[in-house]
Amino acid sequence: MEALFFNVDTGFLEGTVRGYKAGILTQSHYANLTQCETLEDFRTQLSATDYGNFLANEPLPISTSTITEKATQLLVDQFNYLRTNAVEPLSKFLDYITYAYMIDNVVLLITGTLHERDTHELLDRCHPLGVFDTMPALCVATNVEELYQSVLVETPLAPYFRDCLSASDLDDLNIEIIRNTVYKAYLEDFYNYCSSLGSPTSDVMQRILSFEADRRTVNITINSFNTELSKEQRAKLFPAIGRLFPEGNNQLAKADEIDQVRQVCENVSEYRSFFSESSGMNGSAGDESGTAAQLEDRFFHTEVHLNKLAFLQQFQYGIFYSYMKLKEQEIRNITWIAECIAQDARDRMQDFIPIF
Amino acid sequence: MADDYPSLLRSEQMSLVQLFVPTEVAHDTVAELGELGNMQFKDLNPNVNPFQRSFVGEIRRIDEMARRVRFFSAQLAAEKDVVPIRPLYDSAPLITVGPRAAQTIDELDVTLTEHESRLVKMNESYQTLSTRTRELIEAKHVLRETAVFFDRAQGQQTDIRTSFDESSAPLLQHDDRENQFSSVGNVQFDLEFVTGTLDRARIPTFERVLWRVLRGNLYMNHTDIVEPFVDPATGSETRKNVFIIFAHGDALLAKIRKVAESMGATLYPIDANADKRAEALREVSVRLEDIETVLYNTGSNRRSEIVKIGESLRSWQDVVKKEKLIYETLNLFNYDVRRKTLIAEGWVPTRDITTIQVALRSATEESGTSVPPILHELRTSKTPPTYHRTNKFTEGFQTIMDSYGIAAYQEINPGLFAVVTFPFLFAIMFGDIGHGFIILFAALYMILAERKLAKQDLGEIVGQFFFGRYIILLMGAFSIYTGLMYNDIFSKSLHLWHSGWNFPGAEGVGSKIVGTIGSHRYPFGLDPGWHGADNNLVFVNSYKMKMSIVLGVIHMTFALCLQVPNHIKFKRPVDIYANFIPQIIFLMSIFGYLVITILYKWSVDWSQTDVKPPSLLVMLISMFLSPGTVEEPLYRGQGPIQVVLLLLAAVCEMKKIHDQGYVGLNHEGPRDSSDEALEGEEEGNGRAIAEAADEEHEEHDFGEVVIHQIIHTIEFCLGCISHTASYLRLWALSLAHAQLSEVLWSMTIEGFLNPAGVIGWIALIIISALWFVLTIFILCIMEGLSAFLHALRLHWVEANSKHFEGGGHAFTPLSFANAEFKE
Repeated sequence: MEALFFNVDTGFLEGTVRGYKAGILTQSHYANLTQCETLEDFRTQLSATDYGNFLANEPLPISTSTITEKATQLLVDQFNYLRTNAVEPLSKFLDYITYAYMIDNVVLLITGTLHERDTHELLDRCHPLGVFDTMPALCVATNVEELYQSVLVETPLAPYFRDCLSASDLDDLNIEIIRNTVYKAYLEDFYNYCSSLGSPTSDVMQRILSFEADRRTVNITINSFNTELSKEQRAKLFPAIGRLFPEGNNQLAKADEIDQVRQVCENVSEYRSFFSESSGMNGSAGDESGTAAQLEDRFFHTEVHLNKLAFLQQFQYGIFYSYMKLKEQEIRNITWIAECIAQDARDRMQDFIPIF
Repeated sequence: MADDYPSLLRSEQMSLVQLFVPTEVAHDTVAELGELGNMQFKDLNPNVNPFQRSFVGEIRRIDEMARRVRFFSAQLAAEKDVVPIRPLYDSAPLITVGPRAAQTIDELDVTLTEHESRLVKMNESYQTLSTRTRELIEAKHVLRETAVFFDRAQGQQTDIRTSFDESSAPLLQHDDRENQFSSVGNVQFDLEFVTGTLDRARIPTFERVLWRVLRGNLYMNHTDIVEPFVDPATGSETRKNVFIIFAHGDALLAKIRKVAESMGATLYPIDANADKRAEALREVSVRLEDIETVLYNTGSNRRSEIVKIGESLRSWQDVVKKEKLIYETLNLFNYDVRRKTLIAEGWVPTRDITTIQVALRSATEESGTSVPPILHELRTSKTPPTYHRTNKFTEGFQTIMDSYGIAAYQEINPGLFAVVTFPFLFAIMFGDIGHGFIILFAALYMILAERKLAKQDLGEIVGQFFFGRYIILLMGAFSIYTGLMYNDIFSKSLHLWHSGWNFPGAEGVGSKIVGTIGSHRYPFGLDPGWHGADNNLVFVNSYKMKMSIVLGVIHMTFALCLQVPNHIKFKRPVDIYANFIPQIIFLMSIFGYLVITILYKWSVDWSQTDVKPPSLLVMLISMFLSPGTVEEPLYRGQGPIQVVLLLLAAVCEMKKIHDQGYVGLNHEGPRDSSDEALEGEEEGNGRAIAEAADEEHEEHDFGEVVIHQIIHTIEFCLGCISHTASYLRLWALSLAHAQLSEVLWSMTIEGFLNPAGVIGWIALIIISALWFVLTIFILCIMEGLSAFLHALRLHWVEANSKHFEGGGHAFTPLSFANAEFKE
């Protein structure tokens, strides 16, 4: 039935997003980009893609940060175009996408204020999609209670913060806990919202969000080894969704080393490969950072894969989310390649994650 | 084979030429060829990345220059007072060819860089100065507005005091009370405050956040600053508000300051003391004056810099654009083995080869070297591009045909015939002397003011009309002619000669008068006697309907005959007898016959004969449904003749299928003419197929050919019928046009024609103006566009499907003239 009326409200936007998706750089584009000698070549090469002349009015020499900034700006413009043309429930769905950026911005501002950084500099570094107008006032707050009462209470993030009001002081560990608690609440809420939209949106989004949740769970576990974070606290940070939930989460909460994490992940067939080679190659737990980096890389690969799958289904909102994620990955790739060119690190240039 | 004169009948003969250009003259050669604008260069290294080509460095440098020029023009456009930009034809040209070319470019580069850095510096200082000015203005406003507030507060002070004592005393802090007791008489504002300015849009948020942060322990007041602040760099306006916040306690004040700052407010500390405030205001005013003088000087310096840029901006843009084109073209060239010469390949019109050679020689002379580029023609089997040499008159008509599809190389160009047929078909639908004159004069105006109008930017819609001015001219002239034929001028008729009809005098109102035909006939066009007659519509309808069939069949036959020169030119004799002859016989035996019967029926005076005039429509239908029997005979022996014609048509179609199939089966040689014919026919039906540059003949097997032929034959037969019917639109639109103009006349002006008194005359003038405006907009523009559209369709579908092969690719030469106005 959803196919019958979907296009009335969302057909145009779905078409638009599929058009945008066709502009995502392909393998051959990347092959060309990696051959560039200088950032000017890079610009010439990018101007042949959908990015067009987005850098044409930048004075030489171009810095990688300008490239990232301009590319992000393009993405933000596209998103705002979609957002302004969207109606309920898609507009709400798109709002949910921005909440993630808002959480990042809030955490960035709190951390920045904690380390006494300049507020305006911090505001510049915020992601444009996560900006809300009372955001600058965040830097006044000194504890979570105040933070919540003065600023967050009127933002859509308020319900997510309600769970972590108990943490009184703002220090690095607490901020990290807040970030994860809030993000957990956000993920669960988004997950429930997607479920309420019904199939096929829920099918696609649940798959993606489950993976996102599992990724967070694994990351939290690995990062909390040998820190002050107690196991009970750790368990509280795990999102209550995902394929590892609940048994996997319980085991992870008790895990002490990376091998245990691997055992848990092996219960899910898709995640089995994450650890398979890395353990074979290193053999020892001493090279944990290397494993984590590799794990991160695999996570990105899987994320890209899942998001690509979203485009195989029509009449659902997942493609909007997936497009944003893919494009973000693309910007990361571009930045990576540009950075490699700028620092003349050609041997590492291939370490980006191709999308198409 | 090149004719002496260029003609529009076929596209230009093209040659593939190869140029060997010594590296040192390459730039000048391309510049010269670009000025000439008649060579289309081929990309000789299609597999090379854009940034790996030979002249990337130069292009990059030009790009950088282009960026600077763009920066200048953006700055000029942002300027509020319009900066005069000297047009290109007024400025001294920059010589970018010849031995000093490199130097000129270097100098230009340096000039641009200098100008840019100067402008950027000036912008910066202007920016800082104006920011400071703005701050001072804001400070002034803060002082002024808060002064107002303080004054008012002072006036109401006594009331406040009493109320304080009674109700709010318990709520006050301890030290407040102390304060109260110690200085009951003169204390005014023991509350501390923060003042500043903030963007008006953020005020509500600010208020809300503060309220929440301070838990309501504040008193805030704000007023609008009336005049907006203009950002000098972007020109955008911001409106701000002055705010003053009273709160108590250092912690709270610090919080307010922090929130205000992070919300983007600017804080201005002011004193609670009125005298000190006045002094501050004075000081601010003095400083403001000083800084405004400096700002004015900086602004005028910047202005003069910009005006100077404006003088040469156009020539810079021109040079930069040309240079970019030149280097992009050079990138298409190939180096020879020793990298001394560049090799270029491209298409040129054969008759222009000498001109190009002259241009090459002059380029060599200009660059001051002795090694001329060498040009020689290549033999090729590739399809050359299609190039119709047009002038400003034929350009519009050719564009009409090109937008349907680019003709195949050297095929008969329908654009030539469109020069006459297009305005004529239009005029049949638009026949009115008055309307014809209006559009004729409009076109004449555009043509006479051509030079002036061409320079202006007319906008998209008017620009299109201007582009088609010669089409409109002919459409107007032809409309006058058809208007004379229909005897229609603004829905009235002209009495140029005496009418052939005699009307006896009227006997009474409402009685019917029957006209009798006199001895002479009206010499030209429709007899005005018909105007207003009861059976006018019946007569005109029948006349126009038959006329459109006659003209339609003539047009289609003509279009069909245009196949023949194509078949002869491309040496496909088999197509003449297997394709053209059956088709023409089919068309003639049915619709040609219909036309003849129409003409015959017109020539007979049916009032003198004893039989009823037969219906031709019924005749045509019964010719198919019951061949051999004729119910209402038109002439003797009609039955057998119709049978013969029908058989002829059927036989022709059979023969067509058979011949084509036979030829398709027999030909298996490399020169497979029937394949070409097939392709040609395929494309003739309006599906323009872009062919790959190398012609590869696909092998059709017999079954495929036969099925294709059957489909094609059926399509042609059905097409003939539907296309003939399609020409009836000539009748329908012409009728609609005549009726609409009549309705307009009778609805507006007719009732006011005999004015009585001053009011009557005024009403007549007003209603005439209304009528005229409606005539122009509805009858000339709207109806004209619809007639134009239908004429277009008749050419594209009905005529082009009979002969047009299409599938060519257009000749796109390197030309500076084309690039100049593209921006």
